[in-house]
Amino acid sequence: MIQPSYLNVFLTFAKNSMIRDMSFRMNFILQCISSLSWAAMNYGLFLIIYQFSDSIGRQTGWGESEFFIFLGTIWIINSLIQTFFMANATEFSEMIRTGNLDFALLKPIDTQFLISFPRVNWAQLANAFLGLAVIIFYLHQLLNDPSKKMDFSIWSVFAYVFFVFCGTVVMYSVMIILASTSIWMGRNQNLHNFWFYITNFYRYPMEIYERGIGWALWGTFTFVVPILVVSNVPARVLAQPLGGHWGLWDWTLATMSVVAAAGSLWVSRCVFRVALKSYRSASS
Amino acid sequence: MIALDYSGSLSFSNLAQTRLLACKHPIYNLAMSIIEINHLSKSYRVYQKQEGVWASIRGLFRREYREVQAVRDISLQVEPGEFVAFLGPNGAGKTTTLKLLSGVINPDSGDCRVMGHVPWERENEYRRRFALVMGQKNQLWWDLPAAESFRLNQHIYAVPLDEFDRTRDELCEMLDVTHLLGQPVRELSLGERMKMELIAALLHSPEVLFLDEPTIGLDVVAQHKIQQFLKAYQEERKNTIVLTSHYMKDIQALCQRVVIIAQGSIFHDGSLDDIIDRFSGDKIVTLQIGGPDEVFQGLRKLPNVLEVEPPRIKFRIGRDDVARTLSDILSTYAVEDIVVEDPPIEEVIAKVFTDAQGGQVDDESHPDIAGVS
Ligand SMILES: Nc1ncnc2c1ncn2[C@@H]1O[C@H](COP(=O)(O)OP(=O)(O)OP(=O)(O)O)[C@@H](O)[C@H]1O
Ligand SMILES: [Mg+2]
Repeated sequence: MIQPSYLNVFLTFAKNSMIRDMSFRMNFILQCISSLSWAAMNYGLFLIIYQFSDSIGRQTGWGESEFFIFLGTIWIINSLIQTFFMANATEFSEMIRTGNLDFALLKPIDTQFLISFPRVNWAQLANAFLGLAVIIFYLHQLLNDPSKKMDFSIWSVFAYVFFVFCGTVVMYSVMIILASTSIWMGRNQNLHNFWFYITNFYRYPMEIYERGIGWALWGTFTFVVPILVVSNVPARVLAQPLGGHWGLWDWTLATMSVVAAAGSLWVSRCVFRVALKSYRSASS
Repeated sequence: MIALDYSGSLSFSNLAQTRLLACKHPIYNLAMSIIEINHLSKSYRVYQKQEGVWASIRGLFRREYREVQAVRDISLQVEPGEFVAFLGPNGAGKTTTLKLLSGVINPDSGDCRVMGHVPWERENEYRRRFALVMGQKNQLWWDLPAAESFRLNQHIYAVPLDEFDRTRDELCEMLDVTHLLGQPVRELSLGERMKMELIAALLHSPEVLFLDEPTIGLDVVAQHKIQQFLKAYQEERKNTIVLTSHYMKDIQALCQRVVIIAQGSIFHDGSLDDIIDRFSGDKIVTLQIGGPDEVFQGLRKLPNVLEVEPPRIKFRIGRDDVARTLSDILSTYAVEDIVVEDPPIEEVIAKVFTDAQGGQVDDESHPDIAGVS
């Protein structure tokens, strides 16, 4: 049986988006500048906070360098989501409303794939590079700090990339599930709001929730909607707030990250499939 | 399956009737029909919006819905290589039927096979073999040249490169748009864009093609070009095409078979000539008469005189009366020329639509609905 080449289709999407971005050059540049300045302000804010404190919480190990590695990780995941999925999820909601999803349904290729990737928003990738730069800088600081017992090798890099990937998959799935609900609601402008609420919680090391009613949030965002796992697992692999040795809890979190990625992707496919059954197109 | 009609002449017009007979023999049927629709129905539940603020707040808690029966109990067979038109007033259910056939939406009840596949299961093997073009919608990348959208389709449909290049060049040449391939779609005129849409849909050489108003909004020249193209394309490839259009010219030029759909049901299934025979009892007669103008005085008294412009007179007359009236006239006047023609097709169709919407197609079926088995 003839199979479409998913890679070729994806590369064509990426290329077409690039051509398109380049034909609106000014817009592209402004987008880069605005997202970079957002990141810079974000960074400045935490620099200020770290003037008042050396660490988030006692004995958590999230000192300044560790935390900025965490922050860089957040930027990378956010930027991957915004580059590859944000515009597409919004577009998907719109396709449902206008009936343009019809065309996606006609194509002999996995529909979820087809609606997930058509637009690549290259400008948003700027923050990923910034995140990478920040991470390299602070990792360098940590490795040259004799008081830290870092255990860093090429495997840490592989593990980091892998867990960032898992995290991105979880965030993508959450997004697709949210977008799919527009089929029932007819219109879904909550997508951005939801996204904002959720990302608000995953932007910090999970230890900050480990007190008082914070535990409720901790439980919810670790086990129910595992977004804390998304950011914490890769960040801990590099920053090693409690030293290089992996305890039981680290292994549990790492396993959860993989399970969450596979599980949420599966759930997103189910929700997507069920949602399509209710799709009613639009009268011209 | 070409049948003799009553007058003894060979025609396509009775395909529909013969097909109905064939239905009674299931094996016959299985082997022949490329599109097989049985009792297909689809309704939409639409939210009844109330006017005013209070009513809309009440609507938050208690919603009132209305059922719109877009397609009701349609049964139809199409044979390989047929070029069928769906004709019907706005809101008749033509587009909905095409969407069901393309598997874009699910029906409420009924059954359908296209090339042996159930469309709404959306198997890739099925989706690779047909195409849907919607004149009111655009599926090309708006900001990019059409060539990029074509390339994308090549990858999605996994068309081998050499075959793709050949088909694309051939289609572009036929439609005369090769020079526009590099221009962003948003800068193309409606007609040019429509041609590109067609090409995009044909790159994978679909065996079945659904065209929903492919000539909507086009000027006469562009319309004609697309007709010619479709005709040539279909003659060459012998694929099966279902087309909807509100332009009778499209249908006259292309389709041997016309299915009239009104209020979600099939109202008539046959050739255009059939429609005229069935729905128009009149002929238009034009006479050219020699002699002084006074001779027209008598003729002016004929009922339904449309136009008198000596030496010509044009009048409308019941089909059954044509022979008698003409022989009367011939024996009285010095007739130099006679033209007997059908009334304009648009007029007949308008009458059919009015009939179809006036009659209760709802429950008890129209006494002489053809094509509903
Ligand atoms: N997605 C939808 N939601 C609600 N109602 C719909 C939807 N699609 C179609 N309808 C209704 O179903 C009926 C048939 O619509 P359809 O688009 O099939 O008509 P059509 O024959 O294509 O008409 P036209 O010639 O105007 O294109 C109409 O009354 C329309 O309002
Ligand atoms: Mg329509």
